[in-house]
Amino acid sequence: MSHARSARGEREELRRHLAVDSDWPRADGRSFHDCRPAFMQTGPTTAASGSAYAEFGKTKVIVSVFGPRESKKAMMYSDTGRLNCNVSYTTFATAIRGQGVDNKEYSAMLHKALEGAVMLHTFPKTTVDVFALVLESGGSDLPIIISCASLALADAGIMMYDLVTSVSVSCFGKNIIIDPTSDEEAWQDGSLMVAYMPSRKEITQLTLTGEWSDGKITNAVELCMDACSKLCDILRERLKDPSSLASE
Amino acid sequence: MVGLSEGEKHFIRGGIAQDLRADGRRRLQFRSVSVETGVIPQANGSARVRLGATEVIASVKAELGKPSILHPDKGKVSIFVDCSPTAAPMFEGRGSEELSTELSVALQRCLLGGKSGAGAVIDLSSLIVVDGKVCWDLYIDGLVISSDGNLLDALASAIKVALSDTGIPKVNVSLSAATDEEPEVDVSDEEFVQFDTSSVPVIVTLTKVGKDYIVDATSEEESQMSSAVSVSVNRHGKICGLTKRGGAGLDPSVIFDMISVAKHVSQQFLSLLDSEIASAEAAE
Repeated sequence: MSHARSARGEREELRRHLAVDSDWPRADGRSFHDCRPAFMQTGPTTAASGSAYAEFGKTKVIVSVFGPRESKKAMMYSDTGRLNCNVSYTTFATAIRGQGVDNKEYSAMLHKALEGAVMLHTFPKTTVDVFALVLESGGSDLPIIISCASLALADAGIMMYDLVTSVSVSCFGKNIIIDPTSDEEAWQDGSLMVAYMPSRKEITQLTLTGEWSDGKITNAVELCMDACSKLCDILRERLKDPSSLASE
Repeated sequence: MVGLSEGEKHFIRGGIAQDLRADGRRRLQFRSVSVETGVIPQANGSARVRLGATEVIASVKAELGKPSILHPDKGKVSIFVDCSPTAAPMFEGRGSEELSTELSVALQRCLLGGKSGAGAVIDLSSLIVVDGKVCWDLYIDGLVISSDGNLLDALASAIKVALSDTGIPKVNVSLSAATDEEPEVDVSDEEFVQFDTSSVPVIVTLTKVGKDYIVDATSEEESQMSSAVSVSVNRHGKICGLTKRGGAGLDPSVIFDMISVAKHVSQQFLSLLDSEIASAEAAE
């Protein structure tokens, strides 16, 4: 019990710094508006039509894209293609073993973030499968899955209007912290995630939790969009020259 | 599934563009709301909300449980939504799973606040009975009885009404000498504590059809949407949650505009709901 109490005290102390100070260095040395260095690579799995691997700090994600293949017989006829998204976690991805192995919520969110970007009418009657596997969960999992999935779709040669990149922020008191780690996410007051198509300047998905004022939402969304554009440049670089190591 | 002919689709879209919808409403006008409280005697609080032809029930049940190790000073609240096959044949079996999950997640996002507990509808520390040992587990269940669009807004208002109807039994704890022992808990069946529900937000969904957006869309109108943004706003005009639905991307400026419109509409809806709650409680 005493151990739990001291851990809680430490956490409160850190939380206070994040909420009150204007720029307290975070646990991994970043300042509030710095993203983690991103490492992205195409083609980790050979059997898939396209695949991508992303590593942001401790978060490691692999996405494979299969298809387009014939839709299942049970499906109704559709003159637009279907996108089938699935997000799963390895049993060792989280601190406690085997939590959330199959994540329905994230699967639905991934689908919603991508469907606006993929030209579904280019592959009628067929289905494209997007399978994401989180090898290690280290915070901001969903935004990284979304960015990695759009890289994998591009690698598979699926027609898209634009690449989708996604970034989330955490809110602590009056401060906004970009690209939170899982420790930071565990104590956050609120969070906001944006999935964005930088060249088309369109938001495909936006979610928000916690209590926010208007001005703060505007700030946070702008911060996310800016980071999304930068991330998109990295993705583009990566697709143009797969052999170079792209990291920020 | 809504089957509409080309002519009907054109009629709906044209009506929305001209600010006169198929049922005679304007773009930012809700359907008539009717509210009933205490519909489920076994629950600690319950409500039925009708929004036009959409009908939902929300129930709140409290059970004594153990707080989680990570948050020993907080109770737990969980929200689940079920879509009954009585509402539509497609909800039969696993057909409603996707929609139910989507609605549950959206409600959790809007009502439970951040991980630290900030911005939560119910103060989680008020649910604690004995620190680290006993707490109240609050189960909020939503049931869709009849579906004619705008389920999320109807469910959120039903939950708001149900919470205002909820009474948590008073608990007497007899502390035993040995600290490791489970404390004895005596649940009173006469005295109840009410929640302060003034800060519970409502959700306003703005559905974008063509260039315009409408509130409280019927299922016919929803079938014509390009995207929808659900904003949850509380009495103080703070945004408590936001989700986007529908595939099409939106320009950031459109989203900011939708948020400010939702904020404005929500205040009217909140006052309407508050007066309905007051008259429902008076009728009981």
